Amino acid sequence: MTPARAALAEGWPLLLTSVVIGIPYGVIARQAGLSVIETSAMSVIVFAGAAQFAAVELLRSGAGAPVVALTILLINARHLLMAAALRPFVGGASLVRRLGLAYILTDEAFAMGIGHFRRGHRDLSYYTVFGISLWCCWNAGTLAGAVFGAGVTDPSRFGIDFAITASFAAIVAIGVRHRADAIVALAAALVAAALRLGGASAVAVVAAGALAPLVAFALHDEDRR
Amino acid sequence: MTFWIAVVAGGVLTYLTRSIPLAMTLRGTAPAAARRYLDALPIAIIAALAGAGTAVPDGGPTGGAEVGAVIVAVAIGAWRRNLLFAVIAGVVTVAALRALGL
Repeated sequence: MTPARAALAEGWPLLLTSVVIGIPYGVIARQAGLSVIETSAMSVIVFAGAAQFAAVELLRSGAGAPVVALTILLINARHLLMAAALRPFVGGASLVRRLGLAYILTDEAFAMGIGHFRRGHRDLSYYTVFGISLWCCWNAGTLAGAVFGAGVTDPSRFGIDFAITASFAAIVAIGVRHRADAIVALAAALVAAALRLGGASAVAVVAAGALAPLVAFALHDEDRR
Repeated sequence: MTFWIAVVAGGVLTYLTRSIPLAMTLRGTAPAAARRYLDALPIAIIAALAGAGTAVPDGGPTGGAEVGAVIVAVAIGAWRRNLLFAVIAGVVTVAALRALGL
């Protein structure tokens, strides 16, 4: 199977879920008073689910532009870590191509792409095809929600909303290669969960993701591999 | 107007978080400590996403259904090494546990 086809064969649950999550974003944005064009424009310009939900909520409550923009930045600061982790694998690509790859960088594309690279592949087509497909699915879901509104079903029925989290957990389980990986993963998951439960939602992932790798330094070398 | 300023500014800032590390040119070899950090980073970020989504799945703390489902997804993933099986098992588990009232 070509990498491009493998990306779709392995990634379709995430692609389907992004449509299913895009629909309620579209519905909520319209309810908050945004037009269809504004709703879709945010999906194209910001293209980050969690930040978009937060931005709509802030706009609805009358927050000013600086507060909205800075909240989006805070929630999306985790992309700095993901892009840094991807950087060694895109070494051969031109600057223009890397700037294009940056635009389609999402949690889902990162998780799928880095899994592909860690299995020893060096082609960029897997990440690229998955990232572009996810962009199409998210924007299609968003537009459908904005246009057709509340006639759509609640994704928490049937547990479909949980597919993204389940995918991340499974990607970690499949990607763990040695004991140090497992300990770092457990530390990251627990810190992120604690921060989220403690109310620090916006920075939970970036803080836990940046801190947990430090655990690897505390482990003895013989524990690795 | 607030909307467009907020969204364009938020979009530009988001794109910078995505593009700055990817646009940087690497010279020479990174120090061993940096390589070790970067090596552990992917698993840490993805695990953090999983942990955050499990603890607070939809605006409120989990009632336990998501914790049970994430354990099933991890177990199936580690055992079968198959993403699709693991995701379907997680989704079915969360739906079943929610139906039981968790």
